[in-house]
Amino acid sequence: METSEATEAPTYDYEPVAEARGVAVHYGGIKAVDGVSLGLRPGNISGILGPNGSGKTTLLGALTRMVQLTRGSVWCQGQNYSHVKSDRVITLGISRTFQSVRLLPERTVWDNIILSTDVVFKREGDKVEGLVKEAIARTGLEGLEKARPDELSYGMQRRVEIARAIAVQPRLLFLDEPTAGMSRKERSDISALMRNLRSEGLTQLIVEHDVGMMVETCDYLYAMNFGSLIAEGTPQDVVRNAAVQEAYLGKHGRHDA
Amino acid sequence: MMGWIDQNEFLIGSTLTVFLLAISIQIPLRLGVISFASIGYYAIGGYGTAILMTQYDVSTWTSVVVASVAAAAVAMLLGLIISRLNGLYLAMATVSFSLLLSAVAVNGGSVTGGAVGLFGIIGDITIWHTAGIAVVIIILVSFTERGKLSRRIDATREDSQLASAMGINVTAYRRLSFPVSGLIGGLAGGLAVNLKTAINPESVNFTLVVLALTIIIIGGQASWIGALAGSLFFVWLPEILVFVGEWEEVVYGTLVVFAAVLVPGGVVGVFNDWRHRRSVARERPKVALLEAAAGESDAELTQSRSGKDG
Ligand SMILES: Nc1ncnc2c1ncn2[C@@H]1O[C@H](COP(=O)(O)OP(=O)(O)OP(=O)(O)O)[C@@H](O)[C@H]1O
Ligand SMILES: [Mg+2]
Repeated sequence: METSEATEAPTYDYEPVAEARGVAVHYGGIKAVDGVSLGLRPGNISGILGPNGSGKTTLLGALTRMVQLTRGSVWCQGQNYSHVKSDRVITLGISRTFQSVRLLPERTVWDNIILSTDVVFKREGDKVEGLVKEAIARTGLEGLEKARPDELSYGMQRRVEIARAIAVQPRLLFLDEPTAGMSRKERSDISALMRNLRSEGLTQLIVEHDVGMMVETCDYLYAMNFGSLIAEGTPQDVVRNAAVQEAYLGKHGRHDA
Repeated sequence: MMGWIDQNEFLIGSTLTVFLLAISIQIPLRLGVISFASIGYYAIGGYGTAILMTQYDVSTWTSVVVASVAAAAVAMLLGLIISRLNGLYLAMATVSFSLLLSAVAVNGGSVTGGAVGLFGIIGDITIWHTAGIAVVIIILVSFTERGKLSRRIDATREDSQLASAMGINVTAYRRLSFPVSGLIGGLAGGLAVNLKTAINPESVNFTLVVLALTIIIIGGQASWIGALAGSLFFVWLPEILVFVGEWEEVVYGTLVVFAAVLVPGGVVGVFNDWRHRRSVARERPKVALLEAAAGESDAELTQSRSGKDG
């Protein structure tokens, strides 16, 4: 298990799509993330489990340059992007959704999805519409192109977020609680979509509280508590890990994987 | 028609210059930058034009152009200096900038004419010229209100962090808004001084900011149409309601409060909502159907949403 704060290049027996090396994010006295190192396996769906406030969202923020690193560095394809501005991250092929839905309220579903696509594909403008349509079809939003976010249910709004994130054809996708507020049927739709994207070679990192779904969907799991990784490995191993049970599962009882 | 225009030349000219000033404030506002610096740009444009024309015998148009470009240059510098600031702090810095300029106007000795100001500024600008300039600005602004650019502008204003994550260079857009706002604010001042043939510190003080902001609150910040509607309203209301007289400020204040509470998107916002509702009315049954198909269950929804910060 890797919980040290080593900032020197760790060795993996695979080529990580993105890496955190000894990443720490402190807010005053709050150590939201405190020395996390991980390398994302190409073509895998990785997941992060952890109780509320354990630093999962902040870690995604660090990997997308949306929060300042207090220590450590982030790497993508062998390149240190710790000092890259947040608006350049999407051009590195890294795309994300947000834990709280962040859509432009006055804009239609179509406009919200095309927003980043036409920035990323500004030199290939003729591809943009096709990509947006494809993302809409894959997330089951056909027919809702002209609706505004406030006319949609919460679950539907989340789909718009996912559509926006996948329309840019990322190499790496971060999903922060993508199925929160969704019905069981919708959750399995999204899970199927993630597996579909995986079969096309898209590397994903998901944060979710739904342990059953995580075990089912993920190839590899990380568990966080108090800003650090407390376990990582195959889903089965991680959910059986004593420290994880103690920190997380203990409160939720038996998971139904 | 021509007779009416001749009779009301001053009011029409005022409407147009007030409109340009409102646009100057609206541009940064649309990017989420609350800036009161437009009053300063207006002062630079107005005083610059007046000084060049009366003290250096520069031709009218050269004076207006030079003064407006000077306003744009000052605005650009101001933008570079204060663009690190946020929200209220940035707003305060722009207030200080404008107050500083009105202090310069008062204490500028013979150059600015002190408290009396400068007068006898007789140029050859007609309201047709001013109207032509306003039309050009409207055309340019309307390009920013459609397509890609308008989406990016909206994203920058609504959620700048999200905009960055979507690949939009928020800092560049915001920085660029300063010289653009400066140029238009300067033009407004230069044209106004020709219309009124005089300028004094009173005419570039804080009441002007309040007026322009009020116009945007009434008209809505989303479109130049709002700025125009607001300008028309405020310049012509006192003419139409003569009895308003000394109660002018009370009437304005009341109207603004009503507008802010009842129509937060301004007149234009109300119109857009209506248009959108009409266009989706036909789609609505389809929305409901699709959501039903997605298996949305309210019970499950409330359950899995509770206890999360969402
Ligand atoms: N901008 C901030 N300023 C101060 N503290 C913050 C900030 N962002 C996060 N924190 C704190 O950092 C800690 C980790 O927060 P984070 O949102 O990363 O947790 P999380 O694992 O995503 O939790 P959840 O499951 O509730 O989403 C929390 O204690 C939180 O209060
Ligand atoms: Mg979180």
